Amino acid sequence: MSVETKKLTWEIKSKRIVDEISLSINQGEILTILGPNGAGKSSFLKLISGDSSETSGEVLYDDIQLCEISIQERSFMRSVMSQSQEIAYDFSVKEIIEMGWIDRGISDYSKDFENAVIQISIECSVKELLEQNFNTLSGGEKRRVHFARTLIQLWRPSGSYDPRYMLLDEPTANLDILHEQRMMKLIQKKRDEGIGVLLILHDLNLAAQYSDRIAIFKDGKLVEIGVPEKVMNEETLSSVYELQMTIDKDPFRINYY
Amino acid sequence: MSSILFKKFSALRFINPFQTGVLALLFTSLIVIFFASIFLGSFDFSFEELFNDSNSLDNIVLLEIRIPRVFLAAFVGASLGLSGASLQGLFRNPLADPGLIGVSAGAALGASLVIVLGSGVLPDFIFGTLILPISAIIGASLVISLLYLFTQGFGYQGITYMLLVGIAVNAFASVGIGILTYISTDSELRGLTFWTMGSFGGASWQLIMPALIIISLTMLWMIPSSRKLDLLQLGEPEAYRLGVNVKTLKFKVIISSAITVGISVSLSGMIGFVGLVVPHLVRLIGGVNHNYLLPGSALLGASLMMTADLLSRTLIQPAELPVGLITSAIGAPFFLWLIFRIRKS
Repeated sequence: MSVETKKLTWEIKSKRIVDEISLSINQGEILTILGPNGAGKSSFLKLISGDSSETSGEVLYDDIQLCEISIQERSFMRSVMSQSQEIAYDFSVKEIIEMGWIDRGISDYSKDFENAVIQISIECSVKELLEQNFNTLSGGEKRRVHFARTLIQLWRPSGSYDPRYMLLDEPTANLDILHEQRMMKLIQKKRDEGIGVLLILHDLNLAAQYSDRIAIFKDGKLVEIGVPEKVMNEETLSSVYELQMTIDKDPFRINYY
Repeated sequence: MSSILFKKFSALRFINPFQTGVLALLFTSLIVIFFASIFLGSFDFSFEELFNDSNSLDNIVLLEIRIPRVFLAAFVGASLGLSGASLQGLFRNPLADPGLIGVSAGAALGASLVIVLGSGVLPDFIFGTLILPISAIIGASLVISLLYLFTQGFGYQGITYMLLVGIAVNAFASVGIGILTYISTDSELRGLTFWTMGSFGGASWQLIMPALIIISLTMLWMIPSSRKLDLLQLGEPEAYRLGVNVKTLKFKVIISSAITVGISVSLSGMIGFVGLVVPHLVRLIGGVNHNYLLPGSALLGASLMMTADLLSRTLIQPAELPVGLITSAIGAPFFLWLIFRIRKS
């Protein structure tokens, strides 16, 4: 089971933002996309989530074309986290987290749902904030709340193991190092539960530390894909980022100046 | 697959017990105000006459004049409250009021157009219950679509922008109504002046019955989408990712607001600020989620409008004040306070 793209292409005003990218995100793995600004990382994620439609090529969820899956069905299969917008009204943190579920026959599972919200807010360290007004939170706290919401979206009332995917565009932006590490560990935990994770990160070392595979993008094209130790070599990274880099083998670390 | 598991629909979960209590209280006060409105006014009913003689003047005044009028006020108030709340949800903007942003003016212009151009041609009944509301609905939906087109991409930041567009639309509509006033005959003019002030006088069962049915149906159509309006507050892309068909939702809000506001304006003229004040009060009392906000705004809107109408016909009795005057007198300072509050935060 996987999300697969085949020669996925997105053109805006005859410029190829995403250029014939074929790759797959497998269940139970963390695939991280790296690349400089304007490499097409976020655009690629938008095509996979269905936010935007491709010019050509295909997106397949478990061998079904994305365009044949209903909007509601999509929301069961994948959750997305990206830059979030301001919210005009004073919702409580708990209400924001609960928005991960529209309704989905919740009356039958309301107790389970209640517990899941609490469980997940403990995992995301937002339990103390639950009753607060969302608009009074700091940037990092808001980020954690939205992450909790993306986790609730993929939560299931019973032990159903249908395939699910998380698409996360810089989830650790605005987080302090403690919460950054916690969030990455939590993402690993979700991977171990069988969720396929697509990540976009800017921190090369964070990517190396937590990813199962890494895809490197440049100018809308897929430059290289594979395990971190193989893909993240001095030659590739230096040329993609146009910046001199050295790599320590043990412990694995990327240095740039 | 998974969707079968989740087919059963339930919105109740997202209302908390306190909010349920508030809704029950609002409903109770609605009933109380309803009966107060029926029995208070420039005509004093004697209960003896009412019960003993079914053909008495008391009975006729109560059944044919007073009750339809109170019903109309209640439904117009509910319409304006509900459409205010759902437009504020759609635009993600607490200042969206059907009056302020020009939706009522669009409806009034649509209605005035057919009064001047078509009132002599068609029989009164068909004209009043059919053509007039329909053209008001068309006017209202054109304005909402126009506004949406203009404010798209401005998102939450578009507060001032949307109000400016509203000013332009209002100005345009008053020019239109002005021109129509100028070219209209005396009898048409009487009908036109009525739009600018608003009144529930002249309500009869025959005239309001179709309107009440359509307004009720539209509300029943709109209210189940409340939860989706909550998710829309995260932004349109986010709502889509959570499983909301944003296009359908927008269509629903636009059409239902256009229908309720259009019909209200065609029956009672332009009544300002209710759509602004009511949802705001409901939010202050119990919270911002739309499962609570939409029914709450409809209930409170109905109560407030019946009260305003009661004031309009008792303050200087036996004469009457236009009800729009009363709602604006309360609403305008409230609007200023709201702007002040938003600027501070």
